[in-house]
Amino acid sequence: MTLTEPVIQAELRFRLMERYRRLDGLLLRLLAEAGANWLRTNAAVVNSLNVFPVPDGDTGTNMTLTMQSAWAEIESLPDRSLGKVAHALAHGALMGARGNSGVILSQLWRGFARSIDDNYDADAPALAQALAEARDTAYKGVVRPVEGTILTVSKDVADAAAQAVEGGADSSLEILEAAVRAADESVQRTPELLPVLKEAGVVDSGGKGLFFILEGMLRAAYRLPLDRPLVSVQPLSELALADASEAIEPGQDWEVVVDFRPQQALDVPAFYQRLETMGTSIQVGEGDGLYRMHIHVPNATEYEPIEYIRTLGTITNVHMENLMEQMAGGPKAADRSVPLAKVEQGQIAVIAVSPGPGLSRVFGSLGVAALVEGGQTMNPSTQEILGALESLPTDDILILPNNENILLTARQVAELTTKRVRVIPTTSVPQGVAAMLAHDPNGDPSQVASAMEAALPHVRTAEMTLATRSVGLDGVSVREGQTIGLLDGQLAVSGDSLEAALLAILQKADAGTAELVTVYYGADLAAAEAERLGDIIRRAWPNLEVELHEGGQPHYPLILSIE
Amino acid sequence: MTDDSPAPGRVLISPRAISTIAAQAALRSYGVVGMGSRSLFDGLAGLVAHDPHQGVEIDTSGDDIVIDLYVVVEYGTRISVVASSVAHSVSYLVERALGMPVAAVNVHVQDLRVSDTD
Repeated sequence: MTLTEPVIQAELRFRLMERYRRLDGLLLRLLAEAGANWLRTNAAVVNSLNVFPVPDGDTGTNMTLTMQSAWAEIESLPDRSLGKVAHALAHGALMGARGNSGVILSQLWRGFARSIDDNYDADAPALAQALAEARDTAYKGVVRPVEGTILTVSKDVADAAAQAVEGGADSSLEILEAAVRAADESVQRTPELLPVLKEAGVVDSGGKGLFFILEGMLRAAYRLPLDRPLVSVQPLSELALADASEAIEPGQDWEVVVDFRPQQALDVPAFYQRLETMGTSIQVGEGDGLYRMHIHVPNATEYEPIEYIRTLGTITNVHMENLMEQMAGGPKAADRSVPLAKVEQGQIAVIAVSPGPGLSRVFGSLGVAALVEGGQTMNPSTQEILGALESLPTDDILILPNNENILLTARQVAELTTKRVRVIPTTSVPQGVAAMLAHDPNGDPSQVASAMEAALPHVRTAEMTLATRSVGLDGVSVREGQTIGLLDGQLAVSGDSLEAALLAILQKADAGTAELVTVYYGADLAAAEAERLGDIIRRAWPNLEVELHEGGQPHYPLILSIE
Repeated sequence: MTDDSPAPGRVLISPRAISTIAAQAALRSYGVVGMGSRSLFDGLAGLVAHDPHQGVEIDTSGDDIVIDLYVVVEYGTRISVVASSVAHSVSYLVERALGMPVAAVNVHVQDLRVSDTD
């Protein structure tokens, strides 16, 4: 039994059995709304289960929208008849079907409704029969059904319902209980049936979505809340690891971060539960089948989480930090892995603002003397830049803000110090890199600054990200969720896939006349996928040289420098 | 079609091979219940022999691969979603198998199959 399975008192259950003996239209309304709500609450978990890079990339969102469309159809329906409500749900799901999983979901509702026909209500055997017909209808929609998907889960649910009836179930509540249990188990088995899931270390997302719909229904029947997800799994890029310099409480001596690839689908609730016995500040992120666990643990037990995770799969990276030591003034962790240029008094030092660890390494290798973390959505404060500046042993400082939004902050810093500070107005990472290539730590400060500034127009910057809302801007119309490309800060292209938008923006940037494209891929993009996109560019423009670097920046899967 | 890897010789992939991949991918895509035919003649031929390339046309005349699919869709599904889903899935699987970009997948919904009436 997993943590997610709802439990209630025996006495309440006894009363509910009676109430749910026959399922009518009113009860189905209640259940359908609950199913839709619970799915929406847990949509992020379902979204995180994607096997990169299958075409159907946002299963949780798609299924939620499909269920909401189904619910909208019955919201104002006055009917109490089960048949009427079921047919309205099926119609709404069909009209609002989004994505593959949404289409299958609409077929399930369609079969369910057809079986109920125009009956006013249904007893347990009729409900089991409707689930069987839902399964049959879903399977009819494809020539070669792929097992280990939502189809398999619908089959296991129908089988369990039939077994429950054979076992004497005579309330629709018992059917629902059997369905939820079967869906849960079936979802856990999906990696055994579908190798691609096993490779990615996830369970099937569509099947998990169906499980949440059924579980939401059961939770509503049990009168449990539907607005709070049991666990939250976030994309790796959004995993904002707690800043270790914040106040550390007793029992948080060590920060342990482990990246791992689970051997089997990770049972997230059980994983959390186990970690809670070890420490605090637990965060779990997932991207491309790789999980990152973050925890604070007391002294002497700092290896416990690592030992535990070793039993779950392959550990790819471990990062440990003694927080107490750090509080006492140890060096900043983020700076350690990045080789920074040593500057001496009288030389020119460069401070760069970097949005990602990979980009920090790039800047470090080019001779940057200090780095400040920051980017589009996390602008560093004047204080942070000032701190970096004052720590350098020289008085001639150049700042590369590398973002339009940080330019002003950088200029303010120049007025707050007695050191001679010049801001090179770089508004993107590629501009920052271009400027660094023109840097000479031993030159005349004003000449070096002009040389670096003169390098900026020679490089064009393309940045790819996801549209967070629909908009028409600069003659480009964008739908929420599409990939958009900005060329030198201006919205230039939109596309349904990263690949499409990438090719479009390179076209727009006249890649044919360029010599070199440098690709910095972000935290959300797997190296293999970046490699693949690089090959696509090479094929489209055979004369173009393409370089790939891990950038590690959040929110922007790709930043490109075109020269 | 030539592969550009530095292999000792050339790798040639025939359009027929590509169409086999495309047809297999299409038939695994949800909502597609059969491959159609472009003409009456193809239709008759399709009845006689179960041709694994039926309902797929590959155009490699330019630098790009363009795929045309002629499909039969299950009645009662949302056709636009099924069509876009089969296009994505065929394009993805063909690109993965060949390592070459697919410029376009055109989906022609030729018929609907009615398994059940509501």
